[in-house]
Amino acid sequence: MAVITGTLASGARPRSMASPLRHVDWVLVGTVLAIASLGLLMIFSATRGNDATADTSYLARQATFASLGIVVMTVVASVDYRRVRDVLGPLYVGSLVLLVAVLTPLGSESKGAQAWFAFGPFQVQPSELAKIVLVAVLAHRLAVARGELDARGLAVALGLAGVPMALILLQPDLGTVLVFVAITLGMVLVGGARPRHLATLLVLGAIGTGAILHSNLLAEYQKDRLTTFLDPGSDLRGTTYNVDQAQIAIGSGGWTGQGLFEGSQTRGGRVPEQQTDFIFTVVGEELGFLGAGTLLALYGVLLWRVWRAAQLARDLFGTLLCVGVLSMLVFQVFQNVGMAMGIMPVTGIPLPLMSYGGSSTIATFVAIGLVLDVHMRRFV
Amino acid sequence: MAAAAHKAPRTPIAPSPMSADSPHLRLGIVGVVVLALMGTLFARLWYLQVLDAPEYQVAAEIVQVREVPQEATRGRILDRNGKVIVDNRISIVLSMDPGAVRSEEERTATLVVLAEELTRSGKRTKVADLERRLADPRYNPVEPRPLAIDVDEELAVLIGERAEHFPGIAVQRRAVRVYPYGSVGAHLLGYVGRISPDELAELQDEPIAVQKPYQQSDEIGKAGIERIFENDLRGTPGLQRIEVDADEVPLRTLSEIDPIPGHDLQLTIDIDVQAAAEKSLAEQVRSVSSPGGSVAVMDPSDGSVLALASYPTYDPTEFVNGISNERFELLQASGQNPLLNRALQSAYPPGSTFKLVTAFAGLDTGLIDANSSYFDNGVYRLQGCNGSACEFRNAQGASYQTVGAQRALTVSSNVFFAWLGERFWIERDTYGYAIADTARSFGLGSATGVQLPLESSGFIPDPDTKAQRHDDNPEAFPDGSWYTGDNVNSALGQGDVLASPLQIANLYGTFGNGGRLHSPNIVWRVLDTTGDGPTEVVRELAPRVVRQVEIRPGVRDPIVAGLLGVTASQGGTAANVFEGFDLTSFPVAAKTGTAEVRGKEDNAVFAAYGPNPNPRVALAVVVEQGGFGSSGAGPVARYLFDRLSGQVPLEQAPASRPVIVVTVPEGSPTAPTTTVPPTSTAPPATQAAGEAG
Repeated sequence: MAVITGTLASGARPRSMASPLRHVDWVLVGTVLAIASLGLLMIFSATRGNDATADTSYLARQATFASLGIVVMTVVASVDYRRVRDVLGPLYVGSLVLLVAVLTPLGSESKGAQAWFAFGPFQVQPSELAKIVLVAVLAHRLAVARGELDARGLAVALGLAGVPMALILLQPDLGTVLVFVAITLGMVLVGGARPRHLATLLVLGAIGTGAILHSNLLAEYQKDRLTTFLDPGSDLRGTTYNVDQAQIAIGSGGWTGQGLFEGSQTRGGRVPEQQTDFIFTVVGEELGFLGAGTLLALYGVLLWRVWRAAQLARDLFGTLLCVGVLSMLVFQVFQNVGMAMGIMPVTGIPLPLMSYGGSSTIATFVAIGLVLDVHMRRFV
Repeated sequence: MAAAAHKAPRTPIAPSPMSADSPHLRLGIVGVVVLALMGTLFARLWYLQVLDAPEYQVAAEIVQVREVPQEATRGRILDRNGKVIVDNRISIVLSMDPGAVRSEEERTATLVVLAEELTRSGKRTKVADLERRLADPRYNPVEPRPLAIDVDEELAVLIGERAEHFPGIAVQRRAVRVYPYGSVGAHLLGYVGRISPDELAELQDEPIAVQKPYQQSDEIGKAGIERIFENDLRGTPGLQRIEVDADEVPLRTLSEIDPIPGHDLQLTIDIDVQAAAEKSLAEQVRSVSSPGGSVAVMDPSDGSVLALASYPTYDPTEFVNGISNERFELLQASGQNPLLNRALQSAYPPGSTFKLVTAFAGLDTGLIDANSSYFDNGVYRLQGCNGSACEFRNAQGASYQTVGAQRALTVSSNVFFAWLGERFWIERDTYGYAIADTARSFGLGSATGVQLPLESSGFIPDPDTKAQRHDDNPEAFPDGSWYTGDNVNSALGQGDVLASPLQIANLYGTFGNGGRLHSPNIVWRVLDTTGDGPTEVVRELAPRVVRQVEIRPGVRDPIVAGLLGVTASQGGTAANVFEGFDLTSFPVAAKTGTAEVRGKEDNAVFAAYGPNPNPRVALAVVVEQGGFGSSGAGPVARYLFDRLSGQVPLEQAPASRPVIVVTVPEGSPTAPTTTVPPTSTAPPATQAAGEAG
């Protein structure tokens, strides 16, 4: 058959069979666009206000971010992911420089964390971009070990992850640090870390968490959020208010929700940060179990396609890229939605593709672009 | 072929042979973890939105929905001609919610600005005034408390627009009582005030509170008609369910039940007669330097009250928007107690006005007849008794020679009635307690049942009630025995005999109308003026006949002649009072009384009805420490008879604001809706209803 086709098409056909454009994961693209569209709708609902003329400023900005993200995603996917390795050094160093710079007066503070660069009305959060850089850097370092990660290789990987994490902890932005932890754990697991080493890491992690809680590294409010979650009896209005209101919003949605733009908790502005960290409550209250369940199902499809891309990848570098993205997305979804539903502590982590915010939206699109890249180039 | 083409370029991700520990296996572990995490989220979502949704929906309701009761307008009070005598107006009240103020500095700053703005709007206010009102102990710590009342509309709008400059300040528009006639009728109208926690608790299970629920901030009738007819006057509050946001800012109205205004009351009172009575009483009380007095004016044909005046009086406007504790205590504590409605809450010795009862008892029992006479030499001595304690003298030491019942009434012979008193006692085996029995049959000794609170029942003594009183309270009444002197004192309306002015007016009215004893009505009809159509009568309070006292002509004629003689004949005790009054067209049957009060000046008492026969007016006047009945109380009666007979035009009561006259359905309280045959005894049910009212 190969001979025949080769004869017939004079060698053009096999190349076209392997052409990246023929292997675009349209299911993944469709899922991403569906989630992003729902995100736009929910952000609009959360920010339109109660006046006769709805406030569309958030909607317009987020639509811009999403469009920009789609462009960036396309650009990333169109470049062979293996060429990323050529620029890893400058990317990594650049991300560290930005993370240091944001701690200086160049950065600006908001909600207790020195985490943003302000450019007029827009803010850039370097830690969001550092996430993607870390995924690429770790994928490269771990791929070199060819699935046999010894103690030294593991230490190098942890060291590479540890530097940006330490800088982000200084902001302090505990949520993003936790995302880094999830990425690192997922990648070293698939990268071939030995069970013994993984067990040691988990024990050290537990001890480290305890130490951090008793140290001065975390602000009081951050400790409160974590300990309130662990001990709901210590019911201070300040710390459990968000979670209580979020659960009331989601719970009162019932099967079919109160209807789009009809959620009373949303209309009443009772859930703070509703267009960002608590966007899931809008879905839950206004669209009910049908809507929120559909959204979770979409995330399920998204994660499945990323996992599948990891499976199908042509090389270990591609697999690890996808695993990094997978770890990042699953942790963010679980942590964010779990927080809104009261089964995870409150940390400011955006819900990928749903939460309002330029940096995280674009970073997520870049990550999806990498996965599409790996998927479509599995034959070349 | 295609499969081969696909396979060809593919290289294993790990160059080493697939081992148990390959990246693929580890990817599988990752997949399981992802599945588990997503499964957890789904389970939690199911729990929240499907299993527990009802609970959260209730929680959301509590968080988001506020039920705001809407105050209903209180019914108005009209006089018998439809003139509005108690109305409502809107008062703008500024209050501060202590809970909404964040700091001491903020509070002070707000008060300073508020005091400035109030002063600029024409209400001179110092910060200290506001601080004092804020510290008012009548409010519990979390309640908003009024800082300024009757605030200028302009200032209210300003505060509404610039709410951020006035943190914790709320602008309320409340309907408050307004009295176009000022203090006229204050005692009978009563006043409203904020419901007390005790009242609120007491009302809990009352039908009215279930139907028309009360709030802590609600007003309730505290005295007079406002109190007794609370049920009719109070409207049914509405209820607004509103959705609020996190800052309690209303977002939308979910449902609304409109408040239903209360019913209007139409009184039997004629505000012009009321004003005339009060004016005349006040002048009289002042001219004889009396501490107080009262007047009761009734229509004996149906028992309706035309006027009830009491002096000193108070201004019910003081109670609008709340009266201060100090001011209220001052009103109550002053010896004259202006809040007391003397016309029915006080009982006085009726003095000689009681001789009507004694004469009636004597003639009715047959102890005497119209021709029986006694020689009055100015002093009556009890049989077998010496000393001044056994002597009863006429006023001013007069002696009236030979007098019968008629003449004895006209000249007010104490000797004649003392003689009757002693004879009744001597012949008690034949006549029993005839004086007390007669008095009670005319309604004395028990509350008349007028629809006003705290009515005094007066006291009619006899050997039994005197002994009973002693047994009940030996300290206050050390002597429980009955002596001949007690009987004589009773015959003269002295001693322990006590009656309220309303009871005395009712006594004379009952005698004048042929013996039909009424429970006086002060409210005629309950009206609904809220509809688009004409005023509707919700309820009419029919005249209430307590009993029919049989008055035989042989009893009636000498008494009527005697009472007419008081005003008309030479030597009549009130002849000078009625000088110049046309008694032929309007014969007035009257009796003066000069009642002795231990340790004080005599009370002046005057009782009368007219025209005789078929009287339309019965009245009683008491002027405390006013001296002789004729000069001390008579002028008030003359002033009223002048106007009620039409011989002097009745002045319109002066009003401080335009008088609104409601077009009321035709009719008069005189036309009884439940006809009671004039001779039959009223059924017990009527009497019970009368006492309940």
